Amino acid sequence: MRYFVRKIGFFVLTLWAVVTLNFLIPRLQPGDPAELMVQNLAGKNAQLNRAQVEAMRDLLGAPSGSLLSQYWNYLVQLIHGNLGVSYTYFPYTVAEVIGKAFWWTVILVGTVQVLSFAIGILLGAFAAWRRNSRFDTSVTVISTFVGTLQPFWIALLLIYGLGYGLGWFPTAGGYQASTPGFNGAFVYDAMSHAFLPALTLMIVTPIGWILGMRNTMIMNLGEDYIRLARAKGLPDRMIALRYAARNALLPSVAGFALALGGILGGTILVETVFDYPGLGRLMGEAVGIKDYPLLQGLMLLTAVATLLANLIADLLYGILDPRARRAAA
Amino acid sequence: MALLDVRDLSIRYEPKQRAAVDAVSHLSFSIDDGEFVGLIGESGSGKTTVGMAVLRLLERPGRISGGSITFDGTDIAHLSQDELRKYRWREISTVFQSSMNSLNPVTRVEAQFADVIQCHTALRGREVTERIRTLFDMVLIDPKFMTAFPHELSGGMRQRINLALALAIGPRFVVLDEPTTGLDVVVQHSILENVRRLQAELGFAVLFISHDLGTVLDLSDRTMVMYAGKIVEEQATRQLLREPLHPYTKGLLGSYGDPRAETVRITYVPGRPPDLAHRPGGCAFAARCPERIDGCTELEPAETEIGDGLVACHVAAIQRGAADNTTGAEVGPAIRTFAGPQFVKSAAESAEAVRGRPLVTVDNVSKTYVRRQGLRAVRTEAVTGASFVLRRGGVTALVGQSGSGKSTIARMITGVDAPTSGQITFHGSDGDQVVARMRGRRLRSYRGSVQMVFQDPYSALNPTKTLGATLARPLINFQHLHGTQLRDRVIDLLETVALSPGGRFVNRYPHELSGGQRQRVVIARALAVEPELIVADEPISSLDVSIRAEVLELFDKLVHERSVGILYITHDLLSARMLCDEVVVLNEGKVVEQGPSLDVIRSPQDDYTRLLLDAIPNPFAATRD
Amino acid sequence: MSSTQNAVLPEEQVAAAGTDPVDRWYRVVWSSKKARVGVVVVAIYVLVALLAPVIAPYGPTDGSFTPLTGPSAQHLLGTNVAGVDVFSQVIYGSRVSLLVGLLGGLLATAIALLIGMVSGYAEGTVVDDVLTFLTNTALVIPVLPLIITLVAYSDTRGIPLIVGVIAFTSWAGAARSKRAQIITLRNRDFVTAAKFSGDGTFRIIFSEILPNMTSLVAAAFVGAATGAIGAEAGLAVLGLGSSDSVSWGTILYQADAAGAISQGLFVWVFVPGLVLAILITSMAFINFGIDLLSNPHLRED
Repeated sequence: MRYFVRKIGFFVLTLWAVVTLNFLIPRLQPGDPAELMVQNLAGKNAQLNRAQVEAMRDLLGAPSGSLLSQYWNYLVQLIHGNLGVSYTYFPYTVAEVIGKAFWWTVILVGTVQVLSFAIGILLGAFAAWRRNSRFDTSVTVISTFVGTLQPFWIALLLIYGLGYGLGWFPTAGGYQASTPGFNGAFVYDAMSHAFLPALTLMIVTPIGWILGMRNTMIMNLGEDYIRLARAKGLPDRMIALRYAARNALLPSVAGFALALGGILGGTILVETVFDYPGLGRLMGEAVGIKDYPLLQGLMLLTAVATLLANLIADLLYGILDPRARRAAA
Repeated sequence: MALLDVRDLSIRYEPKQRAAVDAVSHLSFSIDDGEFVGLIGESGSGKTTVGMAVLRLLERPGRISGGSITFDGTDIAHLSQDELRKYRWREISTVFQSSMNSLNPVTRVEAQFADVIQCHTALRGREVTERIRTLFDMVLIDPKFMTAFPHELSGGMRQRINLALALAIGPRFVVLDEPTTGLDVVVQHSILENVRRLQAELGFAVLFISHDLGTVLDLSDRTMVMYAGKIVEEQATRQLLREPLHPYTKGLLGSYGDPRAETVRITYVPGRPPDLAHRPGGCAFAARCPERIDGCTELEPAETEIGDGLVACHVAAIQRGAADNTTGAEVGPAIRTFAGPQFVKSAAESAEAVRGRPLVTVDNVSKTYVRRQGLRAVRTEAVTGASFVLRRGGVTALVGQSGSGKSTIARMITGVDAPTSGQITFHGSDGDQVVARMRGRRLRSYRGSVQMVFQDPYSALNPTKTLGATLARPLINFQHLHGTQLRDRVIDLLETVALSPGGRFVNRYPHELSGGQRQRVVIARALAVEPELIVADEPISSLDVSIRAEVLELFDKLVHERSVGILYITHDLLSARMLCDEVVVLNEGKVVEQGPSLDVIRSPQDDYTRLLLDAIPNPFAATRD
Repeated sequence: MSSTQNAVLPEEQVAAAGTDPVDRWYRVVWSSKKARVGVVVVAIYVLVALLAPVIAPYGPTDGSFTPLTGPSAQHLLGTNVAGVDVFSQVIYGSRVSLLVGLLGGLLATAIALLIGMVSGYAEGTVVDDVLTFLTNTALVIPVLPLIITLVAYSDTRGIPLIVGVIAFTSWAGAARSKRAQIITLRNRDFVTAAKFSGDGTFRIIFSEILPNMTSLVAAAFVGAATGAIGAEAGLAVLGLGSSDSVSWGTILYQADAAGAISQGLFVWVFVPGLVLAILITSMAFINFGIDLLSNPHLRED
């Protein structure tokens, strides 16, 4: 039980740290980002009402007022779910803009993450089990090389090859012909648009799992309990799964959420290249136009999402590894 | 026909980056049904490799490069893993070296019995549980622990469970590979008793592999001695004790003494085993052998039958008329003892040391650790009301099992921790000093008088520094030496601990030295500041038995020549008797008995002391009657 | 085979390979074929970066050519929208990548070393608790979004800013592994022995402990440098690269913005990404060699 309490405690503390970091970043900048936003919006003929200006000041910093009172106002805004208005998409609020893009990314990244975890674990475990076989060597060499490729570059190559070259898949956007809604035509349309971004990520993300799983599994295969399992004359499949893989899986589970942070980074670039209507492209866009409210909102959201995923992975780890529960006690 | 018959077995390690090594070469032995056979060897002798080969668990880069392993009429040395499966566990099972790791850490103990039982028998469901229950009873463990995870059990319990697991399907042959190494003597003793009883009841054959001469000789019907990848002697245990044939065996036996004797003599084998990658011509032991004759370094001795035993030694064969003396070298009469250097400790010198002036007085000292666990404070009483005296020019042993509080006392005497109550006084040459938790300059200056020698010489020397650099530190810090003065003193220190010529060792790295040599360097470093007290924490327990006395002798010399006081911390009463004048026995933080070593060992007053004494394996008991 | 020995330290493995420290390192790392390839390739990159003015046919900002031409004898990789020779950009781009890699790697390793060592040496104290929390927090916050947010506020982005931001956000993993390593080292008897020899804490950390971590530190440096190179490229692709120099990421950004692919200017996209991939692969290969030191299990024997 102590283990779980500790992990939830860590989650709360990191959540606080992230929220505070998000508060500090715009305030540490030279100049006045809030004022800049208000002026820029005015320049776009988009007048903010009083409440919106105030929210902008609470979120991005005010020239007056103590840091402490600013911090308080900032927290109040967050608790009300108010992330301000987007400069780019005015009059939409940041929350609305993010809300629209949210599911595009969650579905893409979620599918990729789960699939690549499964594939990576299986390939890594199998390569380790057949260590130094041709399969192992090719998996290791290919993974090492592919793992160093930059996702956005792969994206560009895929666009060139499968998109323009062969014309099999659309190369930009999230959908085209149909209108959004839950119907066959739209789902097909969306999936064909998502294919290349997903493929790009699927090329890169399993690599970490493959190599990580292979290494821990190789180390575990040298342990006494594996030798004892062999001496017991158990079937190979049982030794591989119940003894070796079961133990080797643990560090991978612990690393699941950390990898998510990395994937989100890759997604920003890949979505930008494919013009895919998710959070990543939004971030790329926000950076280009200096849409600070949107940028801060996205930073906060991705960080919180990663923390949550980390919490879930930690809790899962506690269930999978009986030692963890005690070590923390 | 023998149950297991190993003929001409060779095992080769072929790492890609380094030279190939023949870890085992042309080895033959056999084991009969129900026989208990011991295999003794020191680190690097290849004994574990033999065990792994018999179990067919050798892993790359090792492989069986020649010979056969016949089990019950079938050569299993070259069977495929699938063909082996019908022998595994049903016929041949094993208990590995005691470690946290023989059981799968993430599954319950019960499941690790169930999988192997279901794999090899027709038992299912309730029957399986019943069988596991019976097995737990056999090793005297409460069946409620069936559902525990391995990390929830103590080391001793885990090893009992491993034993029960080995017997799960009623095998005919069990390989025990250092099954109790690293466990406390008392626990070790009770587990081995259990093995002995079960073996007598169930009648399985055993190959018992260990570096611990005492336990092997204590348990085995027949004993094989391994050196540098070969069996150099094999005899019925009683006969081996009565008349050891190989000089190496004599050396091993010589490293044991009877702690009850008035004067204890133990011998040691100088030098270190050969590097198997560059095996010398002739007998591998020749370089360390006191009975060596000319032919030994040229011709490799063949296994020769003498009586019921076997020996691979030119001298032994000639002495017993089993071979001709072709070289015409002078061969003396057969002797029982090792004719090498020996270390002698007499009761008389102890009696004198006990009259020495006090150096440290420990007066009614207690130590309570408070550990925060969330909001609760957990108090652990590590030491309770301990009182004793350490003397100048004397050696006092602090004897106890792990968790007895002996390390806590060492920490307090060295000024790292302060007593919760009571007082420790150091009667130094510049006046009395109360030892409490010291910091900064005070602690530093105290360390000018009190030094430590550590258990594991492999961990006590920084692998990235030369011996010269290591020894220079205390000289620079405490005596402010530099330049040629510093260098001379370093060489001086090396020669004090018999690493001579010192100049040749100055630029060596620790990995170039043997375990015994490393421990000498550790001692030299402690001597650098010319301390008045040396605290030695299990300084010989991680060394091979054949060289332990070498380190003991060095300590003894220091006590006599420099009149330092030594606090010798150990779990082993036997070594305490060899080195120490006085013994303090510690159990659960309390001093249960103290007095002159010989008195305590000959007539122990406390039950716990008796328990410790009983746990010392005594192979010589059999020969005495 | 021995029963009583502790786990062997990486540096003991190294020590066993030879006597002279430099020689030992050389032998173990060089024994890996992959590491050899890596070292050679990185050396070539360094040469190209140093000799960029000699190798490149034109200046990296010389926009005096016809824009958007395909590959030709004059312009091996064509020209960009501004009429700059892409091949020359690629040659000069190696300077940015290597510089960011070197400085970012050094800075991140220094931060990781400082935090990891202090935290590890002070294990169990409040200092350690705070630093560990800091490390774990930095570890779970997604790096690239944070870097992007930090960089986005500045209008002029020089290499120092980019290096600083990358180092500031990417030290955590290395700090954690150093903390773990130092804890195992700190409990080794030779550290206690150094205290008994009268050495101070500072000396113990830097003279006794640090030399035993060299392989770990080296691996962390190469890892951090690789990460920094990748991060710089990522930033540049988003248009957040250094504003006063051209990197491979910038070239890709310009190519993407100019619709290079739809215009069939494939090499413009292909080459900068490839040279980047080869550099990162070589660095990963070097770390393979170093990993052999710290993880004997991975040795192929």
